[in-house]
Amino acid sequence: MRTPICFALVSLLVFGHGMAHADLAKGKAVYEKTCAVCHASGLAGAPKYGDAAGWAPRIKGGVAALYGSALNGKPPAMPKKGGALDTPDAEIKSAVDYMVASVQTKADAKKDEKKPEDKSAKSDKSVEAAAKSPPAAQAAAAATAAPAPAAAPSQAAAGAAAAGAVAAAAPSPAIGGNADVNAFNRLLKPAGKRNLPPTEDGIHDPTNDGTAALQPPLAAYGNLPKSNAGNRIDWVQAIGGKKINPRWDRLDPKAEPVVMDLNIIREVKGSMPDVVYPHKQHTEWLDCSNCHPAIFVPQKGANQISMAAILLGQKCGVCHGKVAFPVSECRNCHSKKKDLPVAAAQKTAETK
Amino acid sequence: MSRRRATRLGVLGPAALLFAAASLDFVPHAAAEYADVVLNKRAEREGVRPVVFPHWFHRIRFRCKVCHSELGFKMRVGSNDVLMSDIIDGRFCGACHNNQIAWGPERCDLCHTGKPGLPSGIYGGHETGGPGRW
Repeated sequence: MRTPICFALVSLLVFGHGMAHADLAKGKAVYEKTCAVCHASGLAGAPKYGDAAGWAPRIKGGVAALYGSALNGKPPAMPKKGGALDTPDAEIKSAVDYMVASVQTKADAKKDEKKPEDKSAKSDKSVEAAAKSPPAAQAAAAATAAPAPAAAPSQAAAGAAAAGAVAAAAPSPAIGGNADVNAFNRLLKPAGKRNLPPTEDGIHDPTNDGTAALQPPLAAYGNLPKSNAGNRIDWVQAIGGKKINPRWDRLDPKAEPVVMDLNIIREVKGSMPDVVYPHKQHTEWLDCSNCHPAIFVPQKGANQISMAAILLGQKCGVCHGKVAFPVSECRNCHSKKKDLPVAAAQKTAETK
Repeated sequence: MSRRRATRLGVLGPAALLFAAASLDFVPHAAAEYADVVLNKRAEREGVRPVVFPHWFHRIRFRCKVCHSELGFKMRVGSNDVLMSDIIDGRFCGACHNNQIAWGPERCDLCHTGKPGLPSGIYGGHETGGPGRW
């Protein structure tokens, strides 16, 4: 039963050999650029390049079916065209051919072809040498492209070196003050750098296809109440004023939060106003277990909180300063005026 | 043993450089949106761009508790080991990114959008350090 299928495949391969050669080179290029991400390491259950056992059940369905899966995607993990939607159909098909050929040539290698065997032997060695090296490098090695595995780490090193160079070079122009006067102060975000779209924000890769498809922050912020820090949005007011209604439950849009209205007042040293901690605004967003008991012991007097600890990212600093409003907004927390100075002032007034 | 040490050094050298760079070059990333998180523990090693997770986008749609309690995301950058296999199996991001609530795991280019070489961490002008800085 198996032999006729194999025979058919082999004859197909032999028949289209001359034509296939040119396509395989193109297929290899596409494979290395797109497919290798998963098909080199077997990520997410992808059949590995050169893994005959992995490919066998898929090849049984016919090459046309493989083309179909590659072009249209296949659940659960195969994306349409491997995620590179701008690749022409023909190139995707040649990449499929290239991967299928890797399995076929291994089988054929025993018979006649020597070159691929040599190469695969070489790549086996390099795979062994790079036993614990990243799969990407392994992928490149498996793809018989000799310079690629060397290129991957050197790229990373170059990236690091470049980053280092940037860091080293950064201070001098900043001191020169060519662009933003306060550029050295990371707490002061200049107006021109607020809420930029993903393509310009410096951390998204503008050359990535999906980046342009992401929603820019300002498109979502439209009518939300503004603030002077963080995202420049007052999230507490936004949720309190029903401008947004984020789900409390992943699936149930009608689930309501269990809001607890209890203010905790913490007296602070010095002249700063006392801190009013409102459970209400916090329980709108969070579950009790997010803070208790790991971050705050739910017992009066059991928590030592200082601005130093907060700045180190403990206590309130787990969220505030990173995702909740930052610590530069002192008066959002230090909001209760102390009675003492007023009383003192009255006393002095009385004595007069 | 020596090979292991060599590879470790090989990893730590660039990592230390990157860290040094990261601690100095807040300025280049100052334009990122507050609380954007870059996840690059594995991404680039596996040959894809780092992931950028925008808190702002998600908090408009879900309260913190959904991810940080139900889905098991720890509130500390770098402490969540999120694998693509987890996501495909419906854990972590995959609880919503399943083509039902949000786009599915086959849309690589929508999450893996970071600039190559970005270290993991929180971006956009954070003011507190410690756990979140990782």
